[in-house]
Amino acid sequence: MSSATLEINGISRRFGDVVALNKLEIKIEPGELVALLGPSGCGKTTALRIVAGLESTDSGSVLLRGADITKVSANHRNMGMVFQAYSLFPNLNAQENVAFGLQMRKVAKGNRLAKAGELLELVGLNTQSKRFPHQLSGGQQQRVALARALAVEPDVLLLDEPLSALDAQVRANLREEIRRLQLSLGTTTLFVTHDQEEAMSISDRVGVMNHGRLEQIASPDTLYNKPATTFVASFVGLMNRLPGILTNGKVEVLGQNLSTLSSDLANGQVKALVRPERINVTQDQSTPNARVITRSFLGASSRIICEMHDGTIVQSLMTSHGSGMLNPGETVKLEIADLEVLIAHE
Amino acid sequence: MKIRGILLPSTLLAAIIFITLPFGSATEFSFRDGGKTKHSLAAYRWILAQEDFLHYLGVSLRLALGAVFITLLIMVPTVAWLHLRAQKYRPLMEFLTLLPLVVPVVALSIGAQSALPEALQSNEYELSFMYVILAMPYTYRALDIGMSAIPLKTITEAARGLGASWIKAITFVIAPVIRNAVVASLFLTLALSLGEFTLTSLLHWDTFPTWVTSVSQQNIIGAIALSVFSLAAAFLFLFAIGLLTMRSKSDLPEGQE
Repeated sequence: MSSATLEINGISRRFGDVVALNKLEIKIEPGELVALLGPSGCGKTTALRIVAGLESTDSGSVLLRGADITKVSANHRNMGMVFQAYSLFPNLNAQENVAFGLQMRKVAKGNRLAKAGELLELVGLNTQSKRFPHQLSGGQQQRVALARALAVEPDVLLLDEPLSALDAQVRANLREEIRRLQLSLGTTTLFVTHDQEEAMSISDRVGVMNHGRLEQIASPDTLYNKPATTFVASFVGLMNRLPGILTNGKVEVLGQNLSTLSSDLANGQVKALVRPERINVTQDQSTPNARVITRSFLGASSRIICEMHDGTIVQSLMTSHGSGMLNPGETVKLEIADLEVLIAHE
Repeated sequence: MKIRGILLPSTLLAAIIFITLPFGSATEFSFRDGGKTKHSLAAYRWILAQEDFLHYLGVSLRLALGAVFITLLIMVPTVAWLHLRAQKYRPLMEFLTLLPLVVPVVALSIGAQSALPEALQSNEYELSFMYVILAMPYTYRALDIGMSAIPLKTITEAARGLGASWIKAITFVIAPVIRNAVVASLFLTLALSLGEFTLTSLLHWDTFPTWVTSVSQQNIIGAIALSVFSLAAAFLFLFAIGLLTMRSKSDLPEGQE
């Protein structure tokens, strides 16, 4: 399969008074899977549709291997797109659906049906090739849509929340299958989703969007452990907001004096953002600062919900083994395992 | 539970009697021989003996086909465009297409006629345009419901994304997918056009329905036979729609993952 470098250069798009995209900048390397993650209305789908040629831009450009394709119509871009759901042609069976792109490229009937058969086999649907879309389940339909998008050997595979209409089990299986195919074929892929687990589990890099802007684009690991903004910190994973006092770049929180990751905030009351797994709960009775409310057993780990003396609720994720002695009502001491924390406005 | 069990068949039976009794009685009456109790095909033979029968049937069919052609040319692309690119104008279109039911036919005939080009105003084909307007409340809804039932925008975009030009997207995807809705709207136009009387009469044109009215004054049984014939033709059209748009049982979803 061919691969490409896709560059989105300063794209802006407005719909009336609503700014859907605001100078969006993304560069995708060959064979890379990049996910765009963000809440509804953040502009991620608009960005994908602009790359596909289904939406126009107000300003900025889209480059494919250095060539400007901003004004190229959708049918001349060689992109493969998988939509949310129900995008299969209802008048064609699975095999004909997969062969459609090749038919448009004037590939001989025998060759295109053979290729469609191969791709259906790749997605595990070779026995369903003669079935029509309404005779397939949601998961099967999306597999056919994926095979159809891959059949044209696209420069970039575009996935517009392809799993959102499926149930949890099918979603998890198909997610892994998409990644397996993407890696084996080496197809450059742009994947739009609002599900962070989905984005974090299969992407090389994840771009977090908010209000038409890219807040941060980084590997899932960096995004989780070193969020660049408070929005990314709160949107990706769970985050405690603990009261603290900022003094000359240092923040005092839970009795600890910690460095701040980045801050242009004035000295005074702030909130320190700390992941649940970075909070230790101990039975140290000398300086207790909280009380256990509940302890939920999750298997290898347990979730401990505590209430600080000022009423702030704090969530901690600890190994079940280490938290076995913590019972509801017990006074405990909370400690932050990090040396640096991200801070936000009160 | 028992009452509901009785209510449904009773209502159905009442509806069947309400619909079939007048039609059955008219049919029976049309076979009476000169008003006597003996039955024959005399009235139907009389219809075929009328030299104007085929002429006016031909006029009506020609005008109805004209209306079908205009519907295909104007209504189908308009509704498809509304679904693909101008969803926000659908409520406006909904309102506009109801106007032929609200505006009195007298006002509609004069207003619509004066809006037509002069060359058409003295041509019987102006009726084809009028029939399209009169059928609009039904044709628009048939097309709108048909196109709402499928994700037209998504599948069109999917086709475009896979390399189809607009013409190929229409030919290979849109047209086959909306076929049932189009066929239904065309048959509705055809059925309405073949039976339209008021507007045709107001504009002083002669078609099959106006001819039926005029001959009914000469031969009452012949007129009834003509009505039965027209109704049977309309039923046949509806039956044809049903056959063309019906889905077989094998179409039901079976695949489960």
